[in-house]
Amino acid sequence: MIISPLISPVAVTAYQCVSAAGDDVEALYASLLANQTCLKPLTLFAIPFDTLVGEVISPLPKISANLQAYDCRNARLALKALNQGGFRADVERVIANYGAARVGLILGTSTSGIYDSENAYARLQQDGVMPSDFHFTKVQTAQATAEFLQLELGLQGPCYAISTACSSSAKALAAAQRLLNSECCDAVLVAGVDSLCRLTLRGFNSLQLISADACHPMDAGRQGINIGEGAALLLLEKPGAENANRPRLLAVGESSDAHHMSAPHPEGLGAATAMAQALRLAGHDVSEVDYINLHATASALNDLAEAKAVARLFPHPPRCSGVKGLLGHTLGAAGAVEVVVSLLALERCFLPGTCGLQVPAPECRFPLVAAPALNVSPRLILSNAFGFGGNNASVLLEAA
Amino acid sequence: MECMSLLGVGVCAPDAAFRASLPFPAYDINRETIPPLLRRRSSQAMQMAFSAAITACEQAQRSPSSLPAIFASVAGEINTTDQICNELVKTDGVMSPSAFHNSVQNTAAGYWSIAQQCIQPATALAAGSDTLAMALLEAWCQLSCEGGELLLVCYDEVWPGYLAPGSGNPAFAYALLLAAGTVDGRLMHIGRPQVGEIIFPASWTNSVNSMPILAAIPLLEAALTGRMPQAVALTSHTPGWQVNVGGYE
Repeated sequence: MIISPLISPVAVTAYQCVSAAGDDVEALYASLLANQTCLKPLTLFAIPFDTLVGEVISPLPKISANLQAYDCRNARLALKALNQGGFRADVERVIANYGAARVGLILGTSTSGIYDSENAYARLQQDGVMPSDFHFTKVQTAQATAEFLQLELGLQGPCYAISTACSSSAKALAAAQRLLNSECCDAVLVAGVDSLCRLTLRGFNSLQLISADACHPMDAGRQGINIGEGAALLLLEKPGAENANRPRLLAVGESSDAHHMSAPHPEGLGAATAMAQALRLAGHDVSEVDYINLHATASALNDLAEAKAVARLFPHPPRCSGVKGLLGHTLGAAGAVEVVVSLLALERCFLPGTCGLQVPAPECRFPLVAAPALNVSPRLILSNAFGFGGNNASVLLEAA
Repeated sequence: MECMSLLGVGVCAPDAAFRASLPFPAYDINRETIPPLLRRRSSQAMQMAFSAAITACEQAQRSPSSLPAIFASVAGEINTTDQICNELVKTDGVMSPSAFHNSVQNTAAGYWSIAQQCIQPATALAAGSDTLAMALLEAWCQLSCEGGELLLVCYDEVWPGYLAPGSGNPAFAYALLLAAGTVDGRLMHIGRPQVGEIIFPASWTNSVNSMPILAAIPLLEAALTGRMPQAVALTSHTPGWQVNVGGYE
């Protein structure tokens, strides 16, 4: 069946990632192949319950003196990713090619710099005022790390944050593709950044969703999630001869569950709609999808809904897996982090395993990849990200 | 796409004195726009956003259940977040599950989709002092790529005073029902947001500098009074984002 595409593809000309699974994409690739969990006890601060987290334990770079007001763990994670593997040089190349005003920046985040605000609140209760170096709109509000990256890189194009909980950075990719399709930009930097903080750890604990041990996504015995942190950066440009060897972002499908603030639609209707919408926008059919990178948080209800969604949409489902047992659920960064995982799969010809999987849940009526599958060449990949508010996004990627 | 058409507008300003100072009609929060089960725990941000959104849909005679939505806010659910942060400092601090899921930036967007039974995409964005400009640009890109109509809602509730002294007041919300291209019955055309030299009205600069979401006052004045300049500034800094407007019917 031939369906005409409704949105034009864009090229992913560079990508980089910092997470518990490593400081750059090479380390992430090695961790994906090793398939051993990187989740460990939290060292950053104390919490009143047991869990493991995906913490970035290697040193984070300092924010330069002129941008000190933006200093927070979130900005430092973003800066660390920016400085890896020549990514900054790729941004400088697009600035030189198109001009700084034609390069946009979209951040997907849910936490922003709230970790540093939490520390400031301790001083507030002690002293009655926030510390003098606390800058609300440069640390805590959602756009703060976007503004930091814009100033750090000298970008002058559109700059904003999408903050839709755990679908944030998948939707940031959608917004970036539209900026390119609408001729508003010639290149867009997409950043998915979230940092560990008390608010999300204790918040998910209050929802009784936190797992004490390393999580078991899509497993019959899954008992909850592990929170992680990370920064993933992707550089998108219009497709052309000069980037013909780069993978393509074809489309992002988006939908709302219209069901509940923190529980998914029990039949996965919104999740199925998002995946179907990505395929529809790109003019592709379900039969063409080679692999689905599942959202698979290891929460009982989320995994059930997603399993039903895949079974509902795909008469013959492709192989599927989820990586949150490896590096945790990076919340607002998860969409971008797992698109980077999916791009590695496309470019390096493998399928990631589902770290932590022991006995697949009975509702997983699709081939679930337990250990990494090597020497396969997926051409079309869906990567799912679903968030609070029933907010769903599914990213469709194509090999070069 | 040549332009967007503005089909409906709603403005909510809960502070009566501020409301009276505006050069166009605005309304207090209408709690009837929030389903009874949600009312008790809804924030000022959500109440304003819903009030403005319903007004815009009614004016344009559009059903909310069929519209994609963009919710934009500088500080989002800042009072819920503030309450949680104050609890987190205490060793025995208690966080309620609903306070947590109501602290996300897309709280209003999520509840809107639930209340209206709308399965269309809903997004939540933030861009500091450029929040209105970037929300309009996001709307432009969605309409330009996918056509149709959408609902854009910008809002900010009053912020706790110690977070950003001198900022975050008064609360304000507005909703714009926008369509791709030229549509009959439009209030006006809005062009693609771009950076330019238009100077923001001096009489509102101080207000906008302390509450960035107020940056829509010149745009709303043009839409609601028909006093139509060629272009309006969307931020208080120059050069800054602006839009061409016109095509008043």
